[in-house]
Amino acid sequence: MEEKSYKTADLWSGLALAGLGVYIVVEAWQWEYLGPEGPGPGFFPLWYGIAMVGVSGALVVSSALRKLDAGCVGIEWRKAGRAFAVWVALVVTVASFKLLGFVASFALLTFFIVAVMYRRPVRIAATVAGAGAVAFYLLFPLALGVSLPVGVLGF
Amino acid sequence: MKVQLQVIVLAAAALAVSPGAALAQGFKPTRPVELVVHTGPGGGSDVLARAIALMVEKEKLLPVRMQVVNKSGGQAAVAAAYLAEKKGDQNTIGLFTGVWLTTPLISAEAKVTLRDLTPVARLVLEPAVIAVKADSPHKTLAEFIEAAKKNPGQLKQSGGSSTSRDNVVRQLLQKSTGARWSFISFPGGGERIAALLGGHVNIMVIEPEEAGEHIRAGNMRVLAQVSETRLPKYPNVPTLKEAGFDVPVVPQVRGVVAPPGIPRENVEFWQDFFARLTRTAAWRKYIEENQFEDGYQNAADVTKFYDEFTDRMREILKDAGVKTVR
Amino acid sequence: MEILSGLMQGFAVALEPVNLFWCFAGVLLGTVVGILPGLGPPATIAMLLPLTFQMNPASAMIMLAGIYYGAKYGGSTTSILMNVPGESASVVTCLDGYQMARKGRAGPALGIAAIASFIAGTVGVLGLMLVAPPLAKFALSFSSPEYFALMSLGLAMVVLLAGRSMAKALLAALVGLWIATMGTDLFSSTSRFAFGRMELLSGIDFVVVAIGVFALGEVLSNMEEREEAKPLPVPKGLRILLPTLQDMKDCRFAFANGSIVGFLVGVLPGAGSTIASFLSYGIEKAVSRRRDQFGNGVVEGVAAPEGANNSETGGALVPLLTLGIPGSGTTAILLAALVLWGFKPGPLFIPEHPALFWGLVASMYIGNVMLLVLNLPLVPLFAQVLRLPVYVLYPLILGVSIVGVYTVSGSMFDLALLIVFGLLGYLMRKLDYPSAPLILGLVLGAGMERALRQSLMMSEGSLSILVSRPISAVLLSLAVLILLIPLFSTVNAWRLQAVAQDDA
Repeated sequence: MEEKSYKTADLWSGLALAGLGVYIVVEAWQWEYLGPEGPGPGFFPLWYGIAMVGVSGALVVSSALRKLDAGCVGIEWRKAGRAFAVWVALVVTVASFKLLGFVASFALLTFFIVAVMYRRPVRIAATVAGAGAVAFYLLFPLALGVSLPVGVLGF
Repeated sequence: MKVQLQVIVLAAAALAVSPGAALAQGFKPTRPVELVVHTGPGGGSDVLARAIALMVEKEKLLPVRMQVVNKSGGQAAVAAAYLAEKKGDQNTIGLFTGVWLTTPLISAEAKVTLRDLTPVARLVLEPAVIAVKADSPHKTLAEFIEAAKKNPGQLKQSGGSSTSRDNVVRQLLQKSTGARWSFISFPGGGERIAALLGGHVNIMVIEPEEAGEHIRAGNMRVLAQVSETRLPKYPNVPTLKEAGFDVPVVPQVRGVVAPPGIPRENVEFWQDFFARLTRTAAWRKYIEENQFEDGYQNAADVTKFYDEFTDRMREILKDAGVKTVR
Repeated sequence: MEILSGLMQGFAVALEPVNLFWCFAGVLLGTVVGILPGLGPPATIAMLLPLTFQMNPASAMIMLAGIYYGAKYGGSTTSILMNVPGESASVVTCLDGYQMARKGRAGPALGIAAIASFIAGTVGVLGLMLVAPPLAKFALSFSSPEYFALMSLGLAMVVLLAGRSMAKALLAALVGLWIATMGTDLFSSTSRFAFGRMELLSGIDFVVVAIGVFALGEVLSNMEEREEAKPLPVPKGLRILLPTLQDMKDCRFAFANGSIVGFLVGVLPGAGSTIASFLSYGIEKAVSRRRDQFGNGVVEGVAAPEGANNSETGGALVPLLTLGIPGSGTTAILLAALVLWGFKPGPLFIPEHPALFWGLVASMYIGNVMLLVLNLPLVPLFAQVLRLPVYVLYPLILGVSIVGVYTVSGSMFDLALLIVFGLLGYLMRKLDYPSAPLILGLVLGAGMERALRQSLMMSEGSLSILVSRPISAVLLSLAVLILLIPLFSTVNAWRLQAVAQDDA
């Protein structure tokens, strides 16, 4: 892998993690630090929260100071967009389990991936989707007796 | 004219008989019965549930199959919420234990208490024994308490979480005797026993079944038993009361509960069913082998029991410094 | 010699046709269960318990044990082929195993996993047979301070898993620690970081995080490239599909490392096979000549953890059979099984039931051989999975991941968490944050905090307990040494630079 500079990425992720660290420290402060019988629930979180703030702070500082040089690659929005689209499809799939059940939702997800993401012809997409969904159905609920989410259609 | 009258009489007679017949029949399950447990496969409630399902099948106590459904997570909160969601469902029941009662007391996130569900029966009480390592200098519980009074906070007990029965026994004893010793939580029974046998803690509360082999091998000694009457396998060990400690025996319970909003006949059916189950020979054998105490109570008594139990737990937890939210 | 006579007695039992059958049934079922992500040996054994009442106890025990160690063989399959950890202990195998598969070396990866599992599994049984009672006594002297030191040593290994940015590795580990502390605190019953959800009261299941970050993260990351529709390289020919002699030579130390570390960690009640595999991987990386290549598909990186998680089963049976103390979820169920059949495992178990104990030991030797014979020929078959076009393979991985998580808890909430962690895994890949430290922090976090608090309760607040006891002092010093390695190498680099400048 080429040496890519992650300057902006490091800056933002460092800030986000520093924020998380601050949140953790604030929460941990409300719990008991040292109880009568030993360290309380706030002890450990306080320390790793502080460590998180410290290390992410260092990351933010070092990335801010780094020079924006030729190796710097911006975020490839198109590529990230594709990945994000699949993620959204996953969210929709799981959300629709209640209504459609695993088998149907998974078939739709597969169809989406094959037809839209990989631009394969519709009949290949449909075949893969159908075969996959049926295979899961045969293997898990039928053969192994492991239940999968069922929708209103009963499977 | 006469025929019409006959028909009317017959119809009236039929009408008179049928509701009576319906009442006599009551509810009968037509789908497989779901028995919900809050542990994963292999956990305490799961093992009991599977044993019950097996008994039901062998003795043909139900016209349908009984299926164990695991809804683990949230320390029984997930299972309780699942039952609450199944409002009105007549073919689902759940196996509750003490944790179903205590989790809503300490966790704001656990919103379903047993009062929101329909009680059916209490089945067993699990007694416990108080054990020390065989080479411990304390020969009786009184000696341990004395030593704890002399060196407050130096003796140690291994046990489960701060709301577990192990700690409850400790809190009650501490309160009534004024002694103080520390409590170290370990998540697994194996680790607790290892801590005791390795000499890292001085005392523990342990299930009589678990202690059996260690006692036989001469590694452990029992000082007292946490139960109302002496267990058959521990005839020479005093109960807490006999040893001079008048503390209430807060038992570890297992019972049956059903979703809210079910009709009366349904509750009566389940109550009846479990009463019959606890009278079978297979059940008696199971209780004996596992050293449980038969704690059968019917639905009305169970409700009273939960209120008593939760009130007492609230007090105990406050003394233990655990924040209660309900 | 007692052991020899016991072993002969054991083989007499194990070689009975009915027991050979049940042994085979157990290891076969175990392999299948191990391959399927999510469904694990504890659940399977619990479900089969009622059926075992009809069988004689020796056969039943042989079968259930077969499921237990058989699953460890199968767990590496999906880890290597799809980056989906089949068992929690197989997470570490994903690190190098999947990378080997991407380079077209899936066959050798699967093969070396099977061979390492066989060697370590056999060593584990040897250990159980030879040193069980004295080792069990030694294990009892291990308590919270020693556990804390052991976990610190494990966490210090983050340094070895760091890669380019130490800061990012540390941050990943810290996030892992954070996730590990979510839930109801054991000691005070306070709920921490539960965000008002009752499902979070018992914390987030490790399997959900691992499958989300590894498998889903990987698939999402691959979705970026549309044109990459070529299947992953799988060379043709049977011989290329198995490990080469060079591979075997490279793994000499890994075999020993995995076997010993796994067994010793297994003996400790409470320390599981995941810790064993991480420690073994860390040690292997620390001593390897090509440590910089770890994480990119090094065969020892597969052999060490796979061996460790197999010998751990032998180790975990030590406290169970010699003291009656179950060290893990599966051994707890095996304990319940033994009790249900009327045996009471404890210190008197072996003297009183020698036939059962030795029969079990002998069957484990046989079982390991069966598993090797079963798994090696399957390697080329499994490797063919990678010849599927990516548009078939990736949905398959997504489906297997979802089903895997769902079978663990049946909870839609866990599926939602899975997707969240999938996004996290993707982001971590994009932003160059290593995921192994996250998993390490998650696995060790809860245990470490507990061990620390238990230790301080035992010592009534004094930290000296951690260094006054010999074992914990040694382990802690090792941990500190490991943490100082990057410092040494930086200082060394400066020194070399200074020398070079002087010469110029």
